[in-house]
Amino acid sequence: MATRLQYENSCDVGVFLKLTNKYCLVGQCGSKQFLHTVENRLADHIPVVETSIAGTRIVGRLSAGNKNGLLLPNTCTDQELQQIRNSLPDEVVVQRIEERFSALGNCIATNDYVALVHPDIDRETEEIIADVLGVEVFRQTVSGNVLVGTYCALTNQGALVHPMTSIADQDELSSLLQVPLVAGTVNRGNECVAAGCVVNDWTAIVGADTTATEISVIESIFALQGSKPSNIINNIRNSIVDNV
Amino acid sequence: MVLYNFKKIQVVPTSKDFIDIVLSKTQRKTPTEIHKQYAIGRIRSFYMRKVKYTAQSYHEKLTQIIADFPLLDDIHPFYADLINVLYDKDHYKLALGQLNTARNLIDNLSKDYLRLLKYGDSLYRCKQLKRASLGRMCTLMLKQGPSLLYLEQVRQHLARLPSIDPNTRTLLLTGYPNVGKSSFMNKLTRANVDVQPYAFTTKSLFVGHTDFKYNSWQVIDTPGILDHPLDERNTIEMQSITALAHLHSCVLFLIDISERCGYTIKQQVDLFFSIKALFLNKPLLVVLNKIDARKPEDVPEDDWKLIQSLADPAKGGIGGTQLVPMSNLTEEGIAKVKETACSILFEERVEKKLKSTRIEKEIHRLHLAQPQARDKKVRAPCIPESVVAAARQAEMDEESDYKKPTLTAAMMEMIEEQENDEKYAQGIIPIYDVNAWKKKYLLKNDEWKFDIVPEIINGQNIADFVDPDILKRLEELEMEEEAFLEELKNAEDDEESDLDEENEQLYDEIQEKKHELRINHQIKDSSKPQLSKGRKGIDTKQMASHLRSMHHDDEEVDDIISSVRERSKSRISGKKRSRSESRSESQAATSQERGISMNRSQSRQRSTTRVASPAPGEGFHDLAQKEKADKLDKHSRKKRNQDGRKGEADRHIYNLMPKHLFSGKRSGGTNDFR
Repeated sequence: MATRLQYENSCDVGVFLKLTNKYCLVGQCGSKQFLHTVENRLADHIPVVETSIAGTRIVGRLSAGNKNGLLLPNTCTDQELQQIRNSLPDEVVVQRIEERFSALGNCIATNDYVALVHPDIDRETEEIIADVLGVEVFRQTVSGNVLVGTYCALTNQGALVHPMTSIADQDELSSLLQVPLVAGTVNRGNECVAAGCVVNDWTAIVGADTTATEISVIESIFALQGSKPSNIINNIRNSIVDNV
Repeated sequence: MVLYNFKKIQVVPTSKDFIDIVLSKTQRKTPTEIHKQYAIGRIRSFYMRKVKYTAQSYHEKLTQIIADFPLLDDIHPFYADLINVLYDKDHYKLALGQLNTARNLIDNLSKDYLRLLKYGDSLYRCKQLKRASLGRMCTLMLKQGPSLLYLEQVRQHLARLPSIDPNTRTLLLTGYPNVGKSSFMNKLTRANVDVQPYAFTTKSLFVGHTDFKYNSWQVIDTPGILDHPLDERNTIEMQSITALAHLHSCVLFLIDISERCGYTIKQQVDLFFSIKALFLNKPLLVVLNKIDARKPEDVPEDDWKLIQSLADPAKGGIGGTQLVPMSNLTEEGIAKVKETACSILFEERVEKKLKSTRIEKEIHRLHLAQPQARDKKVRAPCIPESVVAAARQAEMDEESDYKKPTLTAAMMEMIEEQENDEKYAQGIIPIYDVNAWKKKYLLKNDEWKFDIVPEIINGQNIADFVDPDILKRLEELEMEEEAFLEELKNAEDDEESDLDEENEQLYDEIQEKKHELRINHQIKDSSKPQLSKGRKGIDTKQMASHLRSMHHDDEEVDDIISSVRERSKSRISGKKRSRSESRSESQAATSQERGISMNRSQSRQRSTTRVASPAPGEGFHDLAQKEKADKLDKHSRKKRNQDGRKGEADRHIYNLMPKHLFSGKRSGGTNDFR
């Protein structure tokens, strides 16, 4: 089930949270409410690590990872690297990479098998991504946006992309990612889908502004709570039409 | 999204307040002092400004009012009609029109008087013209009193209208009074509408919101309507009619089949037929209410046929109308009614939207892209077993109605607070507690968690820069220094004097004398400048004659005089030092001894005050000029300074008791009362 949540009055929870199937990173937060809620949802199953990256709280935008590994930007300090490495399970490879783009979360959208990356990312970085995360890497844009990580929320079961993605682009992306895919919004019409929803294969956390229709789309496309992507066409379609 | 916000209209003052506001503003914001001896141009512009400013303030305030009130032709017809029903369109337009006329009149008036003021030939005439113009403006505004009053009432009422969005999903409840519209509204929403057992409890429109299919729905409760011709309807009923006529909504026509509302089923059906025109082209649902009081089966045959006729186009009803029974008391059928009503409207809206052109731009959002397999690799989701197990457990718990004890937020907070208190007691600030983080480490061996690990910053180990026993070393250093100082002191004490007893006594005496001199010197405080005022010494002539009278020969006299002069010169400060002979001789001797050329300028004993070169803007041509000016300045002050007279810089009260402050009669007592 998707939980509505706010990080210190900001609905962009994806900025402060990195969620994969094996671990969850949370940006250091003054109020512990956010951390507690996330821990309540996840701590029984995966480690929830409170950390900063490069001294900032925007861990979701600065890091990219999946069940196999975690990539950190070169701005990440040694202590942070140590803290994260110690807190994650041994099978997760933590790697700091020398890459011009330090907001890796914005430039890389990945699940456990496939990754979309910013078209201008380094060739070396591309190789590291493939090795560390164990994924096939594709240089792509999402509806003309190079920041694929911002405009694409991705799991092994589905993907939600920028609302203005054309049907042809959607089909292409879907075939690349090998998951069902839909264009949608979060946080009451916000197009930064990765900022508004944080998902893995069994759970989702969304921004507090997200409407019921948006939540139902998210739950369906990511096959949470036993719902199926086909629900979008069958049940939720009318709501989407009425809200357009 | 609230399209219409009538809450932002500014308060409309009464005519008297209006005048007060404008006149006091003029008084505050324009100059107030004028004298008749001023140039006539100045007097004219003074009064013109007042007239112009007043007219402008009136204009602005009136424009504000006119702009604030909604224009009936521009707003949604629902609101336009509602305003017509509630406040009477004609009256409303008239009031605003009158303000508009008043505004134009004031503009013209000010123009006229400004023209007249141009020809004002004295202060008095100008003033009279100003008075006349302001007076006429105020009279004009006074006449607008009733319009302003009316508009203020309209404003207050408008601000309290429910914010109905005419374009959103809406359910509209209608029917005879007392059939249970408001009760149904309270069941559907949390609007908490007043419900009473008499007709016309609801006197205006009420809005509530409910959720259905991930969307928020607007429910509007209308006042009951009676079955009579439109022109006989009162304001309360007309509000319902307006809502029915203009809001595209799902209409729920409530019929009280128990007839407890005081109207027979026949009457209610007749009402339906008489306002049928309002239901056309709208999703419609006939709700048979109060089935707890009388079952639909118990309704007499004739009445039941009448009810059935509502859905029968052959008998004048509207085809496709559904009849749904419901009871507010037992809540039976309420959910059914809601679902039916919402889904009818929903389908209708969706159909309409799909036909519109806008949907074509958004069609990609209704597309679910399915992947085409590009290889035979299986990309299975990765869900931990614990999650699956937990889901299964939750399912089982649900089946067995077992509630797993969970911690509420308040309980968790309490636990955390306790933990924090413990930490505080240990002297640890919880947010800086590193061990809390380390506790969560996932390492092969749990004992490793709290191991001390080198901390690296910028590739360098912090430990390399930390000396664990720095305090001890500091202490050592301090002790060493102390010992050294002690030693030094002892060495001084132990030093053997090489003087014998006699000399030592002499040395002591000398020291004592020196000390005494120093003290005396301090007492006399000769460091302060001394004024050699009125102490006339003897001059050289007197001295020479005196010496000669004492039988000294000329040569000796000259010697004595020169030596005295030498001494006095060195004593009196402020005099220019000249190169004394004796000094230059001795200087020459020493410098020759040391092999220094005589051409070298003498090392100065004391630096003279140097005049800084003139800065631009100081007004001097060059340094020489400045020096000269300085000299003249000093010279002019010299005499006064010598005598210690008062100068320009001294505090001076020119007139201790000015005449004008201490003479004449005053209202508050005598003149020396102050």
